[in-house]
Amino acid sequence: MANLVHIPEVKDLARKTPIEIFPDPKIAVVLTNQQGGATNTPTVKIGDTVTIGEKIADAKERVSAPIHSPISGTVIKIENAYNSCFEAPTEAIYIENDNKKTKAKPLTCITEAELANTKNEDLLKIIREAGIIGLGGAGFPTSIKLAVPADKKIEHLLVNGAEGEPYDTADERIMIERTANLVRGVRVVRKLLGNPKVIIVTKESKVEAVPKLEEAFSKEPNTEVRAAHLTYQQGDAAMMQKAILGYETPAGKRSYEMGTIVQNVATINAIANAVFEGEPLISRVTTLNGDVPKPKNLQVKIGTPVKDILSANDVNLSTLSSVVVGGVLMGTALQTLDAPITKRTSSIICFAKDKVKNTKTTACIHCGRCVSACPVRLQPVAIHNAVVKGDFELAGKLWANDCIACGTCSYVCPVRLPLSHNVKMAKQ
Amino acid sequence: MNNESSNELVVNPAPHIHGSMTKDRMMQFTFIAILAVTIVSAALWSQVTTPSGWNLGLTVAVGTLIAVGLAVAIDFLIGKVTSDSEVNTWSAAVFGLIVINCFSLGYPSMAVFEGTPLEAGLPVEAPLAFYYIALITIIGMVVFKKVASIAGRKLVNPAAAAKFLVLIPTLFTTLITSWHLTSGMLMVPSLAGPIGNPADAAATAGNGGASFGAYLQGCYGLTATESVESIMVLSKYHGWIGGASSIAVIIAGVVLFAVGRKYFKWKITASYLIAMAATSLIFSFIFGDVDLTTRLLFSLFAGSSIFLAFFMATDPATTPFNGTGQIIFGVGLAILTISIQTFMGFFGGSMLALLIMNLLVPVIDKIRINKPFGR
Repeated sequence: MANLVHIPEVKDLARKTPIEIFPDPKIAVVLTNQQGGATNTPTVKIGDTVTIGEKIADAKERVSAPIHSPISGTVIKIENAYNSCFEAPTEAIYIENDNKKTKAKPLTCITEAELANTKNEDLLKIIREAGIIGLGGAGFPTSIKLAVPADKKIEHLLVNGAEGEPYDTADERIMIERTANLVRGVRVVRKLLGNPKVIIVTKESKVEAVPKLEEAFSKEPNTEVRAAHLTYQQGDAAMMQKAILGYETPAGKRSYEMGTIVQNVATINAIANAVFEGEPLISRVTTLNGDVPKPKNLQVKIGTPVKDILSANDVNLSTLSSVVVGGVLMGTALQTLDAPITKRTSSIICFAKDKVKNTKTTACIHCGRCVSACPVRLQPVAIHNAVVKGDFELAGKLWANDCIACGTCSYVCPVRLPLSHNVKMAKQ
Repeated sequence: MNNESSNELVVNPAPHIHGSMTKDRMMQFTFIAILAVTIVSAALWSQVTTPSGWNLGLTVAVGTLIAVGLAVAIDFLIGKVTSDSEVNTWSAAVFGLIVINCFSLGYPSMAVFEGTPLEAGLPVEAPLAFYYIALITIIGMVVFKKVASIAGRKLVNPAAAAKFLVLIPTLFTTLITSWHLTSGMLMVPSLAGPIGNPADAAATAGNGGASFGAYLQGCYGLTATESVESIMVLSKYHGWIGGASSIAVIIAGVVLFAVGRKYFKWKITASYLIAMAATSLIFSFIFGDVDLTTRLLFSLFAGSSIFLAFFMATDPATTPFNGTGQIIFGVGLAILTISIQTFMGFFGGSMLALLIMNLLVPVIDKIRINKPFGR
């Protein structure tokens, strides 16, 4: 029995807009930590000259992903800047653009013909060195996720093209415009996972992407494009496995233990760029949507301040109430517009002051809507009440740790309780 | 372009969008649904004028204004006086409508009391009825709605609790029918025995001296052309205002559930009605009723259990939050209601049962059958 809530999408304008290359920033603010896993430290110092794609921060630990310079120029300072990945200021390398567009030596890469004879560990090394992390928002280093233990047989690779966030269209444009790149990216991942069945999962509502994907993947072995009717919640990896493969991953088990890997399309696109072009992850496609003159999709350098993007797109900053990055349901409201784009910034959504609806919180009326809406069958209001009382032990007993942070409980709450937020507090 | 300073941005935790349903909207939908029921009741009852000269339809209209007006005014005043109380105009208005709809005003059913010492004890006719309506509204708003909300959460349905409290002095004289049976003052048969249609007097012999059918005939002013069925379903002139037309309540309730989608606890209504039907059929077999429909119709449609099922048993604050709990609540309410009516001879059984079930909600809320994802 699945609890699913339909959340209306605001994609119509943005999804029809081709990806536009956004100019490089004058000053890039590159956060040294945007990944899950070990902490990076800068490998450059103030005054150093850096080139496009040069590694500027890294960690020695295995579970990590390095950071590269998105532009060529000079390191002018290293100090904290607001990091939307962690909702707090963290260390950042400020690089002043010299506008010479000097490129660093590309990463070791291979041709498509060489793929069959390339060792998995070499492919994983390229992915790691390119700094690739889960671009769907999770931010976990991809080289670790795809290094599945040899004794685990992977049956299915689900390529996640659901893009459930109601304002985001970046993945959709990647599926439309970079289909061929996705095909070769999927080949890399399939090889790494020992040739599982590949299911490209997308929504039937992505009417432009579906035929492109079907055509591009038609000649691939053991590959299927599944244009399903999925709700927002089913964009989550565990939810998607249930929707497509029909099982519920037991709590505490990792996806690969069930023989399935779910990989987001934007990440696959980055993998293809790294493996075949030697390009590290220094830019990404992000959706600009919400109360903006023209919703669109931008290929933007990591480290570009959000303010630059808004100003260049004629967004009137004085009328803004809030700016959310990474999706309106799971993303973060920026504390400052100086915040830079990170690897995880899948979208920038603006909300204008005059369009903000009243979100005043009143007392719980015990309607139980959050309970019937929770896709993982938790009782959000019960956990919320436990957290408000400070009883974290009770919150734990109510399985607060199983929350997937989808935000549906808060979305449906008729009195606007911060249910999702408090369940997240219980998790921490 | 302005230079935006960081503290001007609104920084709320995710999610950053919300669904369109709000508490006020839920209350507005409920208000419209119950108002429709009230209007139908007033229209039906406007055909009757009591000996005091008050038209029943007019009585309903005036009573509605009193209950809703008082409730909204009290809510506003308490909101002004106390800082930790929210002003909930729509919620108060809905409360007022529930008070009027669960007020027992029926006529000519209560005419059986005329000429007996009980007449004075029953708030049946205007203008006396208005005082009772006002009293129930005030006590319900102040004690069971506002004070309870400030103290924590509402434990019992405010309208039911207030009515119960106000009518306690009359409960044992007019409403506990088994008492009348023993004293032989009223022609009310016990439900704890075989009941049947008016023609089957023999089958109910020894049951308070009257057949159940005869009782119904007396209560509802049945004429030869009206069947018990049509009285029960279409229109009747007894008991709660909200129970005047069962079909009106069902239509308004179903439309409310359809419009409000998953925000209303329809599972309680559904499980209650199904359990009422099942329990009354079981009792029919146990007591050897001559036909199965009389007890069934009585359980489902007599009095006001139908109004209670749709608009009182689904009160969000005093009912379980999860689906399983709502079904347990509905079934428990049904079994309790029929048991009270049958074994205590108390026709206000659904109200008492509701209060008891309300108090059990914290316990029911702890029951869960549906384990989380992957557990």
